[in-house]
Amino acid sequence: MTDPEARLVRVGAQLARRLEAAGGLRGRVHSVFARAVNVEWNDGSLLALHQPGPLLAPFAAAVDDTAVLRALRPGMPVVVEPRRLRAPGLVLSWERATRVDCSVARNPSLPAPARPGGHAPGLDSPGGAGARAALAAGIGRRDASRLIAGACALLGLGEGLTPAGDDCLVGALAVLHAVDPAPLTREPAVAGAIAEAAAARTTAIGREFVLHALAGRFSEPVLAVLRARSRTESARAAARLAALGATSGADTLGGMRLAWDALAA
Amino acid sequence: MAQATLVKRGAYHDSVALLTLARALRGRAGVRDAAVVMGTPANRDLLAQAGLLTEEAGTATPNDLVIVVEAETPAVAQAAAAAAEPLLARSTPGGDGGRRPPPRTIAGAIRRMPEANLALISVPGAFAAAEARAALAAGLNVMLWSDNVSLRDEVALKHDALERGLLLMGPDCGTAYLAAVALGFANAVPSGRVGAVAASGTGLQEVATLLAGRGHGLSHAIGVGGRDMSEEVGGLMTLAALDLLGEDAATELIVVIGKPPAPAVGRRIRGKLATIGKPVVVCLLGRDVAAGTDGPVTTVATLEDAALAVDAALAGAPWRPRVFSVADVAGRISEARRGLAPGQSSVLGLYAGGTLAHESLLILEPLLGPVASNLTGGKGRHRVIDLGADEFTVGRAHPMLDPTTRVEMIGGAGEQADLAVLLLDVVLGHGAAADPAGDIAPALEAARGAARARGRGLAVVASVVGTARDPQGLAAQVARLEAAGAWVLPSNAQAARAAAGIAGGEAILAALLHPGAHA
Repeated sequence: MTDPEARLVRVGAQLARRLEAAGGLRGRVHSVFARAVNVEWNDGSLLALHQPGPLLAPFAAAVDDTAVLRALRPGMPVVVEPRRLRAPGLVLSWERATRVDCSVARNPSLPAPARPGGHAPGLDSPGGAGARAALAAGIGRRDASRLIAGACALLGLGEGLTPAGDDCLVGALAVLHAVDPAPLTREPAVAGAIAEAAAARTTAIGREFVLHALAGRFSEPVLAVLRARSRTESARAAARLAALGATSGADTLGGMRLAWDALAA
Repeated sequence: MAQATLVKRGAYHDSVALLTLARALRGRAGVRDAAVVMGTPANRDLLAQAGLLTEEAGTATPNDLVIVVEAETPAVAQAAAAAAEPLLARSTPGGDGGRRPPPRTIAGAIRRMPEANLALISVPGAFAAAEARAALAAGLNVMLWSDNVSLRDEVALKHDALERGLLLMGPDCGTAYLAAVALGFANAVPSGRVGAVAASGTGLQEVATLLAGRGHGLSHAIGVGGRDMSEEVGGLMTLAALDLLGEDAATELIVVIGKPPAPAVGRRIRGKLATIGKPVVVCLLGRDVAAGTDGPVTTVATLEDAALAVDAALAGAPWRPRVFSVADVAGRISEARRGLAPGQSSVLGLYAGGTLAHESLLILEPLLGPVASNLTGGKGRHRVIDLGADEFTVGRAHPMLDPTTRVEMIGGAGEQADLAVLLLDVVLGHGAAADPAGDIAPALEAARGAARARGRGLAVVASVVGTARDPQGLAAQVARLEAAGAWVLPSNAQAARAAAGIAGGEAILAALLHPGAHA
């Protein structure tokens, strides 16, 4: 009997290149959710498999029928073979998958992202408020040390599997990459310091989002806000982003607005 | 005070499950506080600041789930922590007794159920049109729950559906009943002789539940989407639905629910109704509706009148608009007014149902003057707010599911010196919250208490859209609201009129009690 085969229908372009170049790459099923599965490769990086539609992470791939993922359990081995992934009881082919560029393009005239209707309570804690203020000051005043302090204080802070602080930081990094990456690029130590802190201060999934964000790669809902050319388009994209997860989307949108306001000031 | 801790090493649950668990634990009797967070250094600091960093919680790493419960007694804290595991297991794949998860694509669903003839599509608007096209191409009728579908896509999809002889219900179609199967936000109503074409979800729910209360059921109720009767869409699906119901043997009478159509579309629909060969009740909620009967077509101004006109037509009896159906309205209104302090004369309507809010606006404005609303952008001393509008649902669920925004706004009502009446809807049925009246009742009691503490009264007037067979139970929900001090009227229209009577005083009361003088 052959293993059930499903198709990856949408894959991040960078992820696709990595899979194609990485024959023999091995990993294990890291975590299993009702609508997604994470695979952790031997180098510690992650692959998220989820339902069809926009890629919800820059390290994600959309599967045509997630019912087949139900066979997976944490710890099961996963291996990259030519043009497909194999796990016990499952083959996933990416040959005909649409490649999605998850990298952000410069958009200096980005319309102000909408303010979310709310966010995770952890961001309102004294630590959360202080971290956001430090991050905003660091961006606004081009102050690398304050930017690093704010970013690191947000890492791992608050509710959720990707803690709310990580979501907020990812949103802020997205706007920086799109509008004015100077606060990140002028001091190369900034990205390094945040990446180093992410390794120790947040969850494996939160860390993966932050590392990709530092490299300028984001989920499609975030990219939709960054690519908006009008206020109407931006508001629609923001509403879709804010609706994701419990508060993850709203927290990310809050970070985007924080950075936009700081740059505008 | 006692604390209990559970650290689950390397445990991964999605954020919604974690937040739901935290809310469930905090809601348990005797629990003072509960935290459900990943054990990152920042979160351990947060726990410390909240006095919840137990010794065990302090050992957690960033990839560990930490659950800390603080309760009045050790037994309560331990019981709550013990309850966390099964609650989390329910959100974990495989924790549901082996039930297969729903398919994630149209193709996957057809493989599993080749005999299916309808697809319900609820994906972000940008992707909804593509999914709807795929479903139509596969020969499926489509209920398009998604909003944010472009007008161009809507027109193209509806033409595509008509060419294939299929229905395209929506976009933003929240409720439908097809051959006694309820879809979306829908109440438990019997099957019967009435066919409906509806451009509005809660409008259809109000009419369907009022009909159920009078013993009538639906043959089919076809949602067409709020823009179908616009000039651009041209009433494509309304006309198709009327054809279907006209030919359907189970349908004896048709009710059309929505807002006023574009003039050209209205002419086409009227032409269709004149030749359909069945009695039709038309309820297109707008200003200056001329209610009355013209041949087979009865035009009404409110959702309740739609149900009453259907009831009368099925009984072969004449129909008359109704203002109130409850006893001693004048007495109840006078009693409510006696509790008010001088200067209390405004109405605040906080609605979960957009069409119900729209109907209240249409009833209140002629009686009380300008009403401020996010539906119209209008300004006024009175307010009617549709809490299901985009600006209130960004980052949170629809108010029919998540009461947070409404509870917050009710909380502020007791502080408003000129506020006389809080006007509310409560929508029951499949898809709605498990206990919507219970969700808002404590806030109502608190708001009335706050007003009393300042020497004022605060009237609460409500209506409940539901049936005895709904999962929440109509009687229990009404009783919960009444226990919180609300006056629960049998329909939204009556509730809006009662609110106007309480806020407006003798002149309004007199006008209301002379049927025909007002809506």
